[in-house]
Amino acid sequence: MGLVARVVEAAGIPTVLVSTGRDLTELVCPPRSMFVNFPMGNPFGPPEKPDYQRDVLRAALEMVNTITTAGEIVDLQDTWPVDFTDKVTASLLAM
Amino acid sequence: MEPVRYVDLLNQRYRAQGFPPYEWTVNQPEELTPLEKPLAECRVSMLTSGGVSHCSMPTWDAYARNDFRLDTVDPEAAGVDFSVSDSYYDTSDAQRDVNTVFPIDRLRELEADGTIGSVAPRLWSGFMGRIYKRTHTTEVAAPALVNELKADDVDLFLLVPA
Repeated sequence: MGLVARVVEAAGIPTVLVSTGRDLTELVCPPRSMFVNFPMGNPFGPPEKPDYQRDVLRAALEMVNTITTAGEIVDLQDTWPVDFTDKVTASLLAM
Repeated sequence: MEPVRYVDLLNQRYRAQGFPPYEWTVNQPEELTPLEKPLAECRVSMLTSGGVSHCSMPTWDAYARNDFRLDTVDPEAAGVDFSVSDSYYDTSDAQRDVNTVFPIDRLRELEADGTIGSVAPRLWSGFMGRIYKRTHTTEVAAPALVNELKADDVDLFLLVPA
C-alpha cells in the first residue's frame, strides 16, 4: 500500500496512509503517514465506537495540512487499552 | 507499549517456513504533492487492502497471494453490508464493524459535517495482502488506479492497509 501511495502522490494526487506497522511504514516510506499503535484490523479503533473512529479519520485527513516533509510519520498519541504484542507475535509465528 | 516489530516477526516467520531472507523494500522520500484547496473543499477517496468486500461481491481469498483484483465500492454503501476475509490479521472486530478498517460510514459523516468537501463517487478495495510483485504494482496496477482517481477528480486519497 505504501508503494501505491507513492505512485499516486507522484502522479499528482496527495495521499495519506494510516499505518498500524510503524517499522514497515518506515521502510516503504509513503509520502504522508499517520501511525496508530493499535492492532492490525483496528486502525480506526474499536468496533461500534463511531465518534472515536471519526476522530481518528479526521486526524488522518487533517494531517495533510500539517505534514510538510515527504516520508513523515505522525504518531497518533492514543494508546490501545491492552498490550497486544504477545498476541500478534503468537499469531504471526503460528501461521 | 512499543510498536510491534513486524519486520522482525515476519523475518522469523519466513525463515520458519523455509523461505530465503525477504528483501524488504527500503525507499527514500520523494516530493510531496501539495493539497491545492482546503480540506473542506476536497473530494476524498479511500482504498483498503484489508480483504473488505461488499455483499454484492465474492469475499476475498483470505490466503491470496499476488491477487490484483480491485473492487470499486459505492460510497453510499452501508458499513453493515460488508464482509472481511484476510488470514493476515484478526478480522473479528472488522467483521463486527467494517469501519475499524474501512471507515465508509465515518467518511460520509465527515462530508455531512463539512470536514471534507465530498466523498468520491468510487471507493476502492484491493491490493490485498502479500503482493510480492512490486514492479507490477508500481508500473501497472497503481498507475491504472491513478487513472481512475483522476477520472473521478479525487483531490485527496486515503490508503489503509489493515
